[in-house]
Amino acid sequence: MALLVDKHRPRSLDQLTYHKDLSERLRSLAQSGDFPHLLVYGPSGAGKKTRIVATLKELYGPGVEKIKIDSRVFQTTSNRKLEFNIVASVYHLEITPSDVGNYDRVVVQDLLKEVAQTQQVDQSAKQRFKVVVINEADHLTRDAQAALRRTMEKYSPNLRLILLANSTANIIAPIRSRTLLVRVAAPTEVEICDVLERSARKEGWVVAKELNARIAKESGRNLRRALLMYEAVHAQNEKVTDKTPIPPPDWEALIGQVAKEIIEEHSPARILQVRAKLYDLLTHCIPPTTILKTLTFKLIPQVDDTLKADVIKWSAFYEHRIRMGSKVIFHLEAFVAKFMRIVEEHLMEMDF
Amino acid sequence: MPADIRSFFGGKTSTPIREKETKKEEDSKKKRSKSRKIIDDSDDDEPAPPSKKSTPKKAPIKKPVKKDSPKGEETSTADYFATSSKPKPKPAKLTPTKSKTLESIESNSRSSARKKTTTSYNENNDDDFAFLDDDEDAGDDIFAADVKKNGKHKADGYVEVDSDDEPLPKPKKTTTKSKPTPKKKKEDVDMMDVGDDDFVVPDDSDDMMVLDKPAPKSGSKKRKSVDLDEDDDDDNLKPATKTSKSKSAKQPPAKKARAPKKNEPESSAVQAILDNIPTVRPPTPPPQDPNHKYDWRKAGAGGNAGAPPAAGSKEIPVGEENCLAGLTFVFTGLLETISREEGQELVKRYGGKVTTSPSSKTSFVVLGTDAGPSKLKKIANMKIKTINEDGLLALIRTMPANGGDGKAAEKNLEKKKADMDKVKREAEEMEKEEKGKIAEAEKAAKEARRIAAEKGIAPPAAAVRKPDLSSQLWTSKYAPTSMNQICGNKGAVEKIQKWLNGWAKAHKYGFTMRGAEGLGGYRAIIVHGPPGIGKTTAAHLAAKLAGYDVLESNASDTRSKKLVESGLNEVLNNNSLLGYFAGDGKKVDEHKKKIVLIMDEVDGMSAGDRGGVGALAKVCKKTDIPLILICNDRKLQKMKPFNDVALDIPFRRPTVEQVRSRIATICLREGLKLPINVIDALIEGSNKDIRQIINMISTAKLDQTAMDFDQGKSMTKAWEKHVVLKPWDICQKLLGGGMFAPASKATLNDKIELYFNDHEFSYLMIQENYLKTKPTLIGQMHGREANLKALQLADQAAESISDGDLVDRMIHGSQQQWSLMPTHAVFSAVRPASYVAGLVQGQVQFTSWLGNNSKMNKLLRYVKEIQSHMRLRSSGDRHEIRQQYLPVLWTQMIKRLEVEGKDCVDEVIDLMDSYFLTRDDFDYMMELGLGPQDEGRVHLETQTKSTFTRLYNARTHPLPFMKASNVVAPAKQTKEVPDLEEAMEEDDDEAIVEPKEEDDDEVDLKKDKYIKQPKVKKPAAAGGKKAASKKASKKKAKDDEEDDEESEEDVKPKKAAKPRGRPAGAKGTGKK
Repeated sequence: MALLVDKHRPRSLDQLTYHKDLSERLRSLAQSGDFPHLLVYGPSGAGKKTRIVATLKELYGPGVEKIKIDSRVFQTTSNRKLEFNIVASVYHLEITPSDVGNYDRVVVQDLLKEVAQTQQVDQSAKQRFKVVVINEADHLTRDAQAALRRTMEKYSPNLRLILLANSTANIIAPIRSRTLLVRVAAPTEVEICDVLERSARKEGWVVAKELNARIAKESGRNLRRALLMYEAVHAQNEKVTDKTPIPPPDWEALIGQVAKEIIEEHSPARILQVRAKLYDLLTHCIPPTTILKTLTFKLIPQVDDTLKADVIKWSAFYEHRIRMGSKVIFHLEAFVAKFMRIVEEHLMEMDF
Repeated sequence: MPADIRSFFGGKTSTPIREKETKKEEDSKKKRSKSRKIIDDSDDDEPAPPSKKSTPKKAPIKKPVKKDSPKGEETSTADYFATSSKPKPKPAKLTPTKSKTLESIESNSRSSARKKTTTSYNENNDDDFAFLDDDEDAGDDIFAADVKKNGKHKADGYVEVDSDDEPLPKPKKTTTKSKPTPKKKKEDVDMMDVGDDDFVVPDDSDDMMVLDKPAPKSGSKKRKSVDLDEDDDDDNLKPATKTSKSKSAKQPPAKKARAPKKNEPESSAVQAILDNIPTVRPPTPPPQDPNHKYDWRKAGAGGNAGAPPAAGSKEIPVGEENCLAGLTFVFTGLLETISREEGQELVKRYGGKVTTSPSSKTSFVVLGTDAGPSKLKKIANMKIKTINEDGLLALIRTMPANGGDGKAAEKNLEKKKADMDKVKREAEEMEKEEKGKIAEAEKAAKEARRIAAEKGIAPPAAAVRKPDLSSQLWTSKYAPTSMNQICGNKGAVEKIQKWLNGWAKAHKYGFTMRGAEGLGGYRAIIVHGPPGIGKTTAAHLAAKLAGYDVLESNASDTRSKKLVESGLNEVLNNNSLLGYFAGDGKKVDEHKKKIVLIMDEVDGMSAGDRGGVGALAKVCKKTDIPLILICNDRKLQKMKPFNDVALDIPFRRPTVEQVRSRIATICLREGLKLPINVIDALIEGSNKDIRQIINMISTAKLDQTAMDFDQGKSMTKAWEKHVVLKPWDICQKLLGGGMFAPASKATLNDKIELYFNDHEFSYLMIQENYLKTKPTLIGQMHGREANLKALQLADQAAESISDGDLVDRMIHGSQQQWSLMPTHAVFSAVRPASYVAGLVQGQVQFTSWLGNNSKMNKLLRYVKEIQSHMRLRSSGDRHEIRQQYLPVLWTQMIKRLEVEGKDCVDEVIDLMDSYFLTRDDFDYMMELGLGPQDEGRVHLETQTKSTFTRLYNARTHPLPFMKASNVVAPAKQTKEVPDLEEAMEEDDDEAIVEPKEEDDDEVDLKKDKYIKQPKVKKPAAAGGKKAASKKASKKKAKDDEEDDEESEEDVKPKKAAKPRGRPAGAKGTGKK
C-alpha cells in the first residue's frame, strides 16, 4: 500500500521505460564480468538509483533485493561516536556518507576498508567483488574523496564502487578519471506522461492527458515528483479531470505567500515579517538554496521586465553567499532587502 | 566656586602650594591662550601689592583675598550685601575670612565682566553678537538705532505672518507686564550695585547701564528693541536650518511677553549679560494649539534621543571658571550641534546645574528641535527663559566667573559657603579627633613606658611604635567614626543600630516579639548593595557603637559547609576576651564582651565553599550572637536560603550631595584643591562609589594639588570600572546610542570594542534588531522618499551583515582565522549599525537565530530518522523526502485522519507500515508540516487519535532494522577501569563492567521503538542483578583476591539465572 512511486518502481532493466540505450549499456556492463567503478550522475528524480538497483539485480540476481538496514557505530578521532546506517544485502552495501556531515571521511575509510579486505562470502555469488553504492557522492568532503581514490585502486579485486551524484562538479578529478561516467538525464515530459499513464492504468484510474502534461511540466522533469504530484491530485480529488488543480507542496505554498508579501509592501517592517516566514522554512528543513530559487521564480513574473535581470543577478549572488557562509538567514534576508530596494527604486523613478 | 575654596584654603595652606598651583593654572591657561584677558587681569591686579602673580585668571581670585582685607574694602562688600537682598550671611559672620571671600567674589565678577567684553572683541566680530561690538565701538546711540532699524524691519515682516498666532501669547504678555513695577525698584538698586562693583572699570559698567537703565525707565522701549534684535539674531543664526518661518514668526509676541520678565529676577551686571544673551529665543508659544501636531511629529521624528544633525560645526567656547554657577538648566529637544550629553556636561563643567524637567527654579531651558510638548507647556506656564544652543554657548562665553554677582550665583555662593563652612568644621573636627588619637596613643605609650620602667624592663617594642596616620590608606584613615559621618543610607544604618541594640532583648524573648519594624524577629540581618558605598563600614561602625566586638569573616576565608558549621559553633557560645583583658596601659572595656559576627561578601561563597551558604543560613536560624551578612547582589539564586532567616537591609547609592561634603572635607584635610563641580564629576563618574573616589583623590594627591574638570573627567574615565555589557545593551548602544552621529566622539575602535563585549551575541542581536530602528540618516524625508531611504539603508545593512557572515565562516570554519575577529566586528555589527543607527522602536529583542537553529537541528533529526526508516522503500535522499514525500504522506495520513476520522485508521497504519514508519514518525510528520500543513492547523479528534494509537500498538509492524547503539565502542570500557592497582585484576573488571552493560541494554530497549518490553519481568531481573553487582563491588572494595573469586562465583549463578537470551539476542540482531 505504498505510494505510487515506490509501488510501481521498475525492478529490472527491462522494465525501465526510457533511456533504453542506457539500460542496454548497463546490462552489457553487468554481463561482461568486468564491471568498472561507476559514477552515475543526473538530476534527482531521473531514475539513477532505480537504474542502479536494476543493474545490481542484473549482476547478482534477485538476492540483492533482500536488503536490510544495518546500523554501525564509528568512533571519530575526537572520541565522538557516530551512528551510521547502512542499507545492505549479501552482495552490496549502500551508504550515504553525507549523513554524518564532516565525519564522512571516517566512515569512508573505515567502512570501505573493512568491506574491501574481505572477499565475497557467498561462494555461489555471480561476481567475486562486492559493490558499495555511495549516495550523494557530490556531497562528500574533499577529505573523504581523497580517501576514496586510493581505496578504489587498491581494493579493486574485491570492491566496486558506484557513486551517485547530482552533478560531477563537486567530485575531484582523480575520482572522475577512475570511474565510468554514466549520465542519467531527466526524463522528457513526454516520457513522464508515459510513465504516469502506465501507473494510472495499473491503478485503474482514468487517464487525463491534459493533467498529466501539466504535471510533467510542473514537476520540472522530476519523475519522482511527478508521480507524487499525481498521487496527491488523486488523493485529494474524488474525480480527476484535465482541469483539476495540482496542490503545491506545503513549503512551496509558503514560499508563494512570502513572495506575495514581498511584492505587496516594500518596507523594513515587511522584511521583518518575511524573516519570520523564512525562519519557518529553514527550520522545517527546506534547503536555503531551494528557498531562494523558488522565491526568485515566484517573484520574477511579478516585476517589471527591466528588473528581471537584476533580480536574477542578485539571486545568484546571494545563492553563492549561502554556499559560502554559515548563517543562511542573513543572506536570504539580504536578498529580500535588495529586491525590495531595487523594485522600490524602480517604482520611484517611474513616479517622478 | 573654586575661588571660595581657595580663599578658605588661603588661611590655612602655605604659600608654596599655592605657588605651585598657580603655575599649573598658568599651564592650563596657556592652552586657552587669551592674551587679551591676561592683560586685563593684570590691569586689575595693579593695585595688588604682591607682584609675584601677574598671571592668569585665577590669580585675581586669590590675590584680593590677601590685599583686600587690609585695605579695608569691607564697606563695599557690606554695601554689596545689603543691596543684594541676601542679608542672611552677613549677620551670621562678618569675620575677616568672610569678607575675604566676598571680596573675591566681587573681584571675580569684575574681572569677568571685563572679560565678557574682551571676548566679544576678540571673537565675535562676525558672530551673532555683532551688536555688542557695535555697542562698544560706535556708542550707544548708534547701537540703539541699529537695533531699532533691524528690529523694525523684521518685526514688520513678522507681524503679517504672525496674525494667527498672536492671540495666544498675548494674554501672557499682559500678565507679565503687570509684574515689572516691583522689579524696577530692585533693578535700580541693582544698577547702583553695578556701579559700585565696577568702579574700577568704568567703561564696562557704562555699557551695561546703557543697556539696562533705559529699559525700566523708558517703559521697556529699549528693551524691546534689544529683544527684537535677539530675534533677529536667531533668524540669522538658523536661516538654513529646519526652523520653519511660522515658528520664527511666532517669536515677537513671545519676546514681548518675556521681555519684562527678564527684568525681574536678577540684579547687577550679570543681569545685563543674561539679558543680552542673544539667545533668548522663544519658540515657546506654540505649545498649546499645535499640541497635537507636536505629538504627531514626535511620533514621527522619534523624540530627541538622536544625534545632533549638524554636529561639530560650531566651536565650543571656553568660558570663565564656574561662570554658570547658580544657574539651572533644562535641556529639551534635539540640539543643533552638540548632543544633549555634551550640553549637560558643558553646563556642569561651568558649575551650572542640570535638571530634567523645568520648574520654577529653572533659569534657562535649552531648546532644540522636537522639544517635548509637555515641557513646552510647562515652559510656557512658568515663563522660563528659553535659549537655544547658541544662547548656551554665548552664556558660557560671556558670563563672568562664578556667575558674577548675579542673584542666582550669589545664592549659590551662599549655599556653597555654608557647605564650605560645614566642610571646614568637619575637617577641624577630624583633625581634632586625629590629634586626640595621637595624644591618646602617646599617653598610652608613655604609660606603658612608665609601667615598664616601674617594672624595670625595657619598654615593649610595640609601645615605641607610634601610630603613623600618614601611612594609612585614605579609605581607612577617613573611614567614618560616627554615625553622622556615614554618607547616605541613614535609615538603613539606623536600622542596623536599632537591631543590634535590641538584639539582646529579642534574644531573651526568643525572637518572637517582632516589634514595629520587625527588627525583633531576626537573629541575623543581611545588608546588600553595590560596592563602595559603605556597607562593611556601616556594619563595623554600628557594632562598635553598640558595644560589640566584631568578628569578621570574608571571602578570604574558606567557608565551606563543614567549616561554617564547626567554625561558627565555637564562636557562637563565646564572649569576647576584650571584655576582660586589654593591652598594656589600656582600660578594659566591659562592654566588649559581646560578639557580633560580620560575614562579609557572602555572595563570594563560591565553588570552594560548597554548601557554605546553606550552612550559614542554618546558623542564622539558631545563632546566639547577632550575625550581619553582607553581600552585593541579593537577587542571586544562591542567596535564596537567606530569604526568611535574615532581615533584608538594602543599601542604596548615596546621592551626590551626601557624598560631596565628605569628599570636600577630605580634600581640605589633605590640602587637595578640588572645585565642587570636579568633585561632582568624580562622584558621578565613579557611580557614587565612595571608596573609589577616595582612592582616586588619594592617587591624585600624589602628584598634584589641584584638579580641574577635565582632569577629573579623564581620571574617572581611566578608573571607570570596566563593565561587560549585556547583548541587549550592546545592541541598544550601537543602534540607538547616537554612536554614529556626526558629533559622536566614539572612534571605530570604541565601536568594535562594543562588539567584543560579547562577540558571540552582539552581531546576532544587531541582525535581529537592525530593521527595527528609525535611522537618523533618513533625516527629514517623508512618505515614500523616507521609505525608499529606509529600504536602501536596510539593504546596505543587510548586505554588510551578509558580508560579515562570510568573515564569520572564515573564523569558525575550517580556516580558523581568528585574527579576522575585528573585521567580523566591523562587517557584522558596526557597519550595519552605521547605516540604520537611530531610534530603536520597541524593545531590543533577543536574537531568534539560536532558537531557530536548534529547532532546525531537531527537525533535521526527525527528517533523518524518517528517511532512515523509509530508506528500504524509497530511493530519495532526505531533501527529497522532506520536499516531496512528506507533503503527500501528510495528505495521505494526517489529512485523512482529520477528515475521515477513525474509519481510515487501518489504512493509514498500512501505509505507515509499508514505509516502516513508526508512531513517533507520525508525530514528527505532524511537526514538520509547514504553511497550509502547519501543525497548529491540524485538528485531530481525540477519539481518532486514541483509536489510532490503540490500533497501532495492537498490531505488529515490520522492522527494517535494529538499532545498534549497544555496539559499545571499545574505548569506553577501558575508560571505566579504575586506576587502583588491585582493581586491575580481571575479575574485578568483570564485576564492574557487568552492570554497565546491563544498563546499556535497558536503555536501548527503551529507546528502540521496534522492541516492545515485557514490563513485568524486567525490573525484577534488573533488580536482582544490580543487587548482585553491588554486592560484588562492595566485596571487591573490602577484600583481597580470594574473596573476589568467591564473589564472582556469587555473581555468576545469578547471571545465569537471568534471562540471558534477550540482551544477547538483541545484540546479535543488531550486529548482523
